[in-house]
Amino acid sequence: MNASASWQELYANLPIFKDAIITGGLAGALLGFIGVHVVLRRMVFASSAIAQAAALGVALSFWVPIVADPIRHAAGHQAGADAHVVSSLLFEPVLWAVAASLLATLVFIANPVRLHLTRESLLGLVYLASGAGAVIVGDRITQEAHDLSAILFGSAVVVQPADLVLVAAATVGLLCGHLLLWRALIFVGFDPVGARVQRLPVRRLNAFLFLSIGLAVALCTRALGALPVFAFSVLPAMAALALTSRMWVVFLLATLFGALAGVGGYGISFRGELPVGATQTAVAAAFVGAAMLARLAAVRLRRSAPQGGAHARDQ
Amino acid sequence: MTESAAGHLPLIHFADLRVGYDRRAILPPLSATIAAGELWAVIGPNGAGKSTLVRTLLGLQPPVGGRLDRAQRLRMSYVPQQSALDAIFPISVAEFVRMGRQAPGHLAGRASRADADAARAALDEVGARDLARRQLRDLSGGQRQRVLIARAIASGANLFVLDEPTAALDIAAERTAMELIDGLRARPDAAVVMVTHLVEDTLERADRALLLDRDHDVALAGSAREVRASAAFAKIYGRTLPHHGSNGGAAGAGVTP
Repeated sequence: MNASASWQELYANLPIFKDAIITGGLAGALLGFIGVHVVLRRMVFASSAIAQAAALGVALSFWVPIVADPIRHAAGHQAGADAHVVSSLLFEPVLWAVAASLLATLVFIANPVRLHLTRESLLGLVYLASGAGAVIVGDRITQEAHDLSAILFGSAVVVQPADLVLVAAATVGLLCGHLLLWRALIFVGFDPVGARVQRLPVRRLNAFLFLSIGLAVALCTRALGALPVFAFSVLPAMAALALTSRMWVVFLLATLFGALAGVGGYGISFRGELPVGATQTAVAAAFVGAAMLARLAAVRLRRSAPQGGAHARDQ
Repeated sequence: MTESAAGHLPLIHFADLRVGYDRRAILPPLSATIAAGELWAVIGPNGAGKSTLVRTLLGLQPPVGGRLDRAQRLRMSYVPQQSALDAIFPISVAEFVRMGRQAPGHLAGRASRADADAARAALDEVGARDLARRQLRDLSGGQRQRVLIARAIASGANLFVLDEPTAALDIAAERTAMELIDGLRARPDAAVVMVTHLVEDTLERADRALLLDRDHDVALAGSAREVRASAAFAKIYGRTLPHHGSNGGAAGAGVTP
């Protein structure tokens, strides 16, 4: 398959793939924006741990019906490919993903100092327990193993229309909330003590941030998989922070880079017949590499410029 | 709350205040009144309980016992140590000073024109208007201290609580910072509480002082002169300081041995 034929093929089959492309773009934009808070607050592995918890939730949504009612489940399989999937709203994977993610976000709200632990170590616990749980549960599932693999590694080529609707709704709703509370969230992240002294509702603002991370990660993990979700919530923000020192530009660039990684990664994966999630992650990582090179080049240029351009460090 | 002995209106009054953690006091009970126009120095060795007391006064943690009254008109602003600010955040000086304008009923949306004006005026007051577009993380220690004080001014506070405002500053920047702190005290209906290790210089400027040392079970509140002349001060710092000037001496906060 030559390159131009592949692009033409993608265009010709756009009706089939457009939901996945749009979902990738929306998830990249949403997680790219929220990811700036994640990176600035030094909780990069939070989104990884939450995504892993969401994947465990999805795995459990497949496994619990097998254990609870094996006969009906087997009958569902015989009836048709999708018959078993939505046997009950109670076993809807999105609900399980959201529930598991929100449980994982409790780690942020808990005070680990009382347990003589750090928040980082609790994140490690959530990540490892969820990852191990997903693999163990996955081993007990035969029919849905492919679905589970797609969620864990982000190799889903096609996205369910319902997932697109949920990701789109989350993108609009959460971005509106974040834009409204943008200044307050930055203040609380930068100087939590100062914010508390000024009587800002620091706990409620943090709860909004953490719940929005949990919700975004859960919905996007269900649609795209854990790997690209982790990537979108870290790498676009890193690229933006390397490129600019203006806060609102950082958020704008991170949103843009996330959306581009989601859409562009999908296109490149189609053209190169590569795994979708891994390619989206690689594109986001390439943005970081390019941004770092640009930053280094800018620093070199500034150093080689005449001395009058340098900032004076006067008192 | 009644007027202080010096005739100023009290901002915070505490009586037999006990501070600590998990319902356990770490210092003896402390009584004092912080009134407008006063500069309070909070001194003591490392680990003395200064931060615990300040956190309690700021309302960040509850007292273990005793009484703590805050005037209704009280509006506090906290000036953190420079090292507490995370340099990874790309915050401009103007954005930082505008943070001082954020309040519970004023969270959503963009900063107003009034907020921008107040931030500009505060930067003018500390002589840092030309820094408005610079990144906070790119400033020198002295410049950053001016900007930190500007945010406190922009907040409209009348009680300024400063944590080690002269830490890691050179002599010239330290002098500028102390002049700005004097300016805060001189603002109408305002007082300053300052945690510091610069004991000698600060006690010369301060009206009143809190000497704390949990290891020696010391919590002493009084005029700067009284604290300076106390046995507890000599025990902790190994000497009493020569007395200069005429600050201190006003009654109102008893010495708690």
